Amino acid sequence: MYNSEVRGRLINGDKKFGQISQEILAPIHRKTAPLWWYFAMLVSLSMFGFGLYAKYITVSTGIGTWGVNNSVAWGWAIINFVWWIGIGHAGTAFSIFLLILRQKWRTAINRAAEAMTVVAVFCASLFPLLHMGRPWLFFFIFPYPNTRGPLWVNFNSPLFWDFVAISAYLLISASFWYFGMVPDFATIRDTAKSKIKKAVYGFFSFGWTGSSKEWLRYEALSFVLGGIAAVLVVSVHSIVSTDFAVAVKPGWHTTIFPPYFVVGAIFSGFAMVLTLVITMRGLYKMNDFITDSHVDAICRILIFISLIMGTAYLTEIFLAWYSANDYEQYLFFHTRIFGEYAPQFWAMFIANAVVPQLFWFKAVRRRMWIVFTISIIINIGMWFERFNIVVTSLSRDYLPSAWASYSPTWVEIAFFTGTLGMFITGVLLFFRFVPMIAISELKSVAKFDKPNNGQLKPSEHE
Amino acid sequence: MSKMKYILGVFEDEATLVDAFEKIKAKGILPLEVYTPYPIHEILEGMGKKTRITHAAFFYGLFAAVGILGFLTYAAAIDWPLKYGGKPFNAFPSFIVVTIVATILSITLLTLFTFSARAKIFPGKKPEIFHDRATDDKFVIVLDKESLGQNAETIRSIIKEHGVVE
Repeated sequence: MYNSEVRGRLINGDKKFGQISQEILAPIHRKTAPLWWYFAMLVSLSMFGFGLYAKYITVSTGIGTWGVNNSVAWGWAIINFVWWIGIGHAGTAFSIFLLILRQKWRTAINRAAEAMTVVAVFCASLFPLLHMGRPWLFFFIFPYPNTRGPLWVNFNSPLFWDFVAISAYLLISASFWYFGMVPDFATIRDTAKSKIKKAVYGFFSFGWTGSSKEWLRYEALSFVLGGIAAVLVVSVHSIVSTDFAVAVKPGWHTTIFPPYFVVGAIFSGFAMVLTLVITMRGLYKMNDFITDSHVDAICRILIFISLIMGTAYLTEIFLAWYSANDYEQYLFFHTRIFGEYAPQFWAMFIANAVVPQLFWFKAVRRRMWIVFTISIIINIGMWFERFNIVVTSLSRDYLPSAWASYSPTWVEIAFFTGTLGMFITGVLLFFRFVPMIAISELKSVAKFDKPNNGQLKPSEHE
Repeated sequence: MSKMKYILGVFEDEATLVDAFEKIKAKGILPLEVYTPYPIHEILEGMGKKTRITHAAFFYGLFAAVGILGFLTYAAAIDWPLKYGGKPFNAFPSFIVVTIVATILSITLLTLFTFSARAKIFPGKKPEIFHDRATDDKFVIVLDKESLGQNAETIRSIIKEHGVVE
């Protein structure tokens, strides 16, 4: 039985199936988007354009236009790469883990989370690409028979693992997202009045009719993809962490990194999901589908993950002290906690380990503007975490003669702004042209709000 | 797809559909097809079809893992051996990561193509729509008129108990 005292209703108001489709598809069936949509689009596209200009400067002049130097060779580009990948993690984590745990409330949110994943991973992939300096030669990283030997790539390098992991993750999350949408595209095809929409969504729905033969195989497909993508959620960010952990640098060379990165990624991703669904509630009045109880559930998960984050930070500090290793101790106590980069360290610690603890209070969880603000603070905090990891370790390693400070140039900032613009553009297009809630999945859980789970006779399952 | 050949039973929700479906099956008649807005397990089991997609996925994974690991070993240890960081040519633990991730990618793509081929869901396909609200809010049972024989009236009354005959 799903009906429980802990969770609220999955859908507010006794809605008929037709009404569910109508309300979710309303933004798509509208002839024109609301005015704020065009305005937001304009702003995000200008940010995107600014980013394109920075990319042009990077490619035409070179990496010298960035603030990176020989010691701190990885600056904002890698920070932002890890940040975006982390955000991109939650989509799959949301769909898969909550699916495995049979959390029915995920149905209202997983579509948005997966959309966020695809766009964020796309933003992330730009950074390593441009960081190569000669991005047109990026195909060198593919293991293909070539004219230089054939000389294969170094399969022992975490950077190669990362390349494989990120490209696989992008392809898999995009196909997972797309196939989830096929039945909903068919719903748009069959309910749209405009001929153009019928034709376009008809094409994208791949001839879906909802027959039992299709659903049978569709279920099997979701089962397979869900099962193996769960491995991916854990593996992708573990591999990103090996980019650091395999290097012999103080602060990087630790075994805590893979779980620490995975948890951090899910943390920032869930925070971004929260930002996104509260926006959907505010702008599109999806309150009946994404109820207060849904937001409440995400907040509770964030308390838990925030505690793990705090524990991870303290563990790192403790082990730096306990190891009695001069370099580790110097890094943690003289560079991070009380040193040149103390503001960034404390911003990270307070935003990730302290502020989310406010979610213990029901009064906080119920006020959407506070939840929204905290979700943004977590995202900023997670950005500072990556700053801490990337910059501080590189700026103070074994040789004091190699110590260097780092601050970004406007090109790096513009590049990052550009990806933010790209992300917002992607999200706006998603709001306008794609059903932002998985309609067929939501309909399948609607019965759990009814007495006796909507069955005629008493049923023995769930 | 002339309407003359078929009887459509149209229902408003899952419970009444399943009820009618089971009663029709009890008469020994299997509907031609059932169209629903979301998957309903009673129907998927009741229609008696099985899918082997999960088995296919397992074998894709098996062959992909062996193939990828074989390729990495061949490239690094046989075709062009190079020492990296003092590791042996066949640095097996280093190859595990790529093997796992690339295997997952292969399983996903191959299973998707299998699904597309078997369920006949592909770009540019023309849908065969019996009822244009079956993807929205109607649950539709399609029956072949000829297969009903003298049961036709009983079936009609079963459908009419909760639904509409079209």
